[in-house]
Amino acid sequence: MREILQVKGLVKNFSKKTAVAGVDFTISEGEFVGLLGPNGAGKTTTIKMLTGLLKPTEGEVIYYGRDFFRHARESKRFIGVVHQYSNLDRDLTAYENLYLHCILHGIPKIERDSKIKEALEFAGLTEYEDKEVKTFSGGMKRRLIIVRALLHEPKILYLDEPTVGLDPQIRRSLWDLIVKINQIKSMAILLTTHYIEEAERLCQRVMIINKGRIISSGSPEQLKKGVGRYVLEIFYDDHIEERFFSTRDEALEELRKCTLSCRIREITLEDVFLKLTGRRINV
Amino acid sequence: MFNGIKGVLYRELNVYRKRAGKQLLATSLSPLLFLIAFGWGFGDRVMAEGLPYITFLIPGLITMSSLNQSYGIAQEINITRFYFHLFDEYLIAPVTHIEIVLGEILYGMFKGLLSTLLIFIYATLFKVQLILSPLFFIAILIHTFLFASLGTTMAMVVRDHGSQATVNTFVITPMVFLCGTFFSVDKLPYLFKSIVYLLPLTYSTKVIRASLTGGTVNPLYLSLMIIFAGLFFFSAYLAVKKVEA
Repeated sequence: MREILQVKGLVKNFSKKTAVAGVDFTISEGEFVGLLGPNGAGKTTTIKMLTGLLKPTEGEVIYYGRDFFRHARESKRFIGVVHQYSNLDRDLTAYENLYLHCILHGIPKIERDSKIKEALEFAGLTEYEDKEVKTFSGGMKRRLIIVRALLHEPKILYLDEPTVGLDPQIRRSLWDLIVKINQIKSMAILLTTHYIEEAERLCQRVMIINKGRIISSGSPEQLKKGVGRYVLEIFYDDHIEERFFSTRDEALEELRKCTLSCRIREITLEDVFLKLTGRRINV
Repeated sequence: MFNGIKGVLYRELNVYRKRAGKQLLATSLSPLLFLIAFGWGFGDRVMAEGLPYITFLIPGLITMSSLNQSYGIAQEINITRFYFHLFDEYLIAPVTHIEIVLGEILYGMFKGLLSTLLIFIYATLFKVQLILSPLFFIAILIHTFLFASLGTTMAMVVRDHGSQATVNTFVITPMVFLCGTFFSVDKLPYLFKSIVYLLPLTYSTKVIRASLTGGTVNPLYLSLMIIFAGLFFFSAYLAVKKVEA
């Protein structure tokens, strides 16, 4: 697969704080990559630098071999962005919001209407095309923002915490939409999240980010295998201790020795994060 | 080509269209109150710079009202930037910063020109004779361009909505009242006169008033308007280029 994005030594310092402390990775066509980390780990700052909303203090962002900041206008054609906040115009209708995107991205006039109709259908919002966005629910806005980002057929889609603040049912329906985009449109996706389940279910490759650095990367299975397959949880009065084992038998043997309340379960990415950093993602 | 300009204008004009009734009412009310209070109040009894006061006042109201409208885009950009985050959509699109700036400025000019049209309607209702010279059209275009550029700059420079209101209170409002809208600046004490001659509105008011009342337009004043317009456009460009989400 051809490489779309190359990120080299990306750093972002704000006046008193380093938000991203040297990030390197690549993304190839059609790949579904997750950037998993707790709030404040540097996920959104990274996305903002990859999309030109923030200028890096150091490092390079390269799309198809060309420096993003030197060829910003051309490079921006390759990217679609879904921010964690809604940046729809609430006074415009769904159709008008998508039309605005078509103009900004230079989609020929003759193609706009059919593309918008197709996008609205893809998002299941056809019957709401003439309704102002301010009347939409959170889930509808999210769906509209996602399909808006696809209108100009980008090569890579950035989804910055796309399901944050949504209820579990809507979150699942958005996952279906996101998977459909990756499969049907063969679009590379970089998804940032602090939801373990989201990263495990959706991503082929997960990069774990903590304090502005990527501390581990691989498929969810590889990451979990690196730590062990089973976890023995020992419940103390004031905390839970976790021990990692490669096989269930090893975990059972330890369980038998346990005098406190204990349980064995399969490892998750949360455990991987805990093992790597000593803290939990979702605290 | 020019997708940034077209996009910004599409958004701004569509939102304006939806609020046109309220917007026009708000735009028309304050100049009407000034006209009633000062225009009718003083009528023909008071002369200013050799003109009946109401004839003197109308060009001042045109500069004031068009300034308020053109500069007023700062507040709207602020809302789209800080509350709706729509400005991010412009910044991630494959358009240049100049296009975004020009789109906003053209919208500001549109609002300024619309308010000018309203005051012309008032002038007709109040039976005030004005001379529509080509120089007036050039002057009002420069004037609205100048203040829309300043509005765009300020919207990018301020850090929140509150700071925007502070700028309005301490810069725009005094400028509106001191730069010749309601009285001749030449009657101001020396210190104030020195200050108002540093402000662009003084030149706009003088040029627009002269062009509408058959007076002589000082080419230096027109040139200064163009210089201010150029400077503010450049500052708007730099401010948008520097802005980070």
